[in-house]
Amino acid sequence: MNKKEILKLAKGFRGRAKNCIRIARERVEKALQYSYRDRRNKKRDMRSLWIQRINAGTRQHGVNYGNFMHGLMKENIQLNRKVLSEISMHEPYSFKALVDISRSAFPGNKHVVLPTRKVNVSSINV
Amino acid sequence: MASSATATATFTTLLLSSSFAAQCNISNHHRQSSSLFPAPKTPPLSIFKPLSLKLTPSFLLPKTSTFSSIPKSSESDAAVVDVELEPGNAEPESQFQSELEVEPEPAQVVEASKEEPKREEIFAVVMIGGRQYIVFPGRYLYTQRLKGANVDDKIVLNKVLLVGTKTTTYIGKPVVTNAAVHAVVEEQGLNPKVVVFKYKKKKNYRRNIGHRQPNTRIRITGITGYQDYPAVTLNS
Repeated sequence: MNKKEILKLAKGFRGRAKNCIRIARERVEKALQYSYRDRRNKKRDMRSLWIQRINAGTRQHGVNYGNFMHGLMKENIQLNRKVLSEISMHEPYSFKALVDISRSAFPGNKHVVLPTRKVNVSSINV
Repeated sequence: MASSATATATFTTLLLSSSFAAQCNISNHHRQSSSLFPAPKTPPLSIFKPLSLKLTPSFLLPKTSTFSSIPKSSESDAAVVDVELEPGNAEPESQFQSELEVEPEPAQVVEASKEEPKREEIFAVVMIGGRQYIVFPGRYLYTQRLKGANVDDKIVLNKVLLVGTKTTTYIGKPVVTNAAVHAVVEEQGLNPKVVVFKYKKKKNYRRNIGHRQPNTRIRITGITGYQDYPAVTLNS
């Protein structure tokens, strides 16, 4: 890449790395390496985020993530975690239906603790 | 009373026209006579994108058929901010509300009688190219390049994993039988370029490659065929 392209990629960098070509070149190379690596990491991170969201959604209904997915697998429902997390956010009734299906297919939740209701702190008079 | 629909770049309220009340819409395609405003830019409505890296989609609830004219992109990096109409008025679909990461513009919502044709309140989860998408009628979608599909081809997608309406959900095991999602191929293009830069330190090895993945933009026209499937009725 020539200098102009490097400096264009170096926009927003700190200090001399955005202006001086010798320093910018190093930083830009590093940035491109990171982007290569992180395109792979992004897939992992997103999946972890979806699992957290599904976990939160199912625990509101008294089922944890592991048992929920086990029930879905038993019922041969092949929705992936991305779609499940979206449904848990935006379609609460559909998600509840899924949780019920999973619970009936695999009722393994005897000791799941439902999240306790937080008390509004400002309403407490001390 | 003429509807004072001035095609300005700002959102203004329409005066009442004789047949229907005014509404405020975002659209860049004028389809109806009750003129819709072209948006200052064409914000693609994106819905259901992962929060962490992209803007949260907002589900636009127009009262009119701008649904059909509003492009929607999912699964793509089009992170253009969309403007969200106040969902509080006609057709509040409580089940379909989504959060916004970006502050929604205060849309002046005017009470309106719905314009025809009304968008059906239905969504489906469909699997295309090994990936699953949540689709709505009237919105578009970027998928992997579909070989052998030309522009303006009608496409029927058969792997429908879930169909949801306002009152019922049809959960497929794994597929909702006989359900079909109809779509039209709009464009066969390429994704934005990513730079693949490989570098090994102290070994004098660096490779700089650009890559554009082919994609296909399809617009969903309808969801059919799910009615006979055993449904889960929700108490909405």
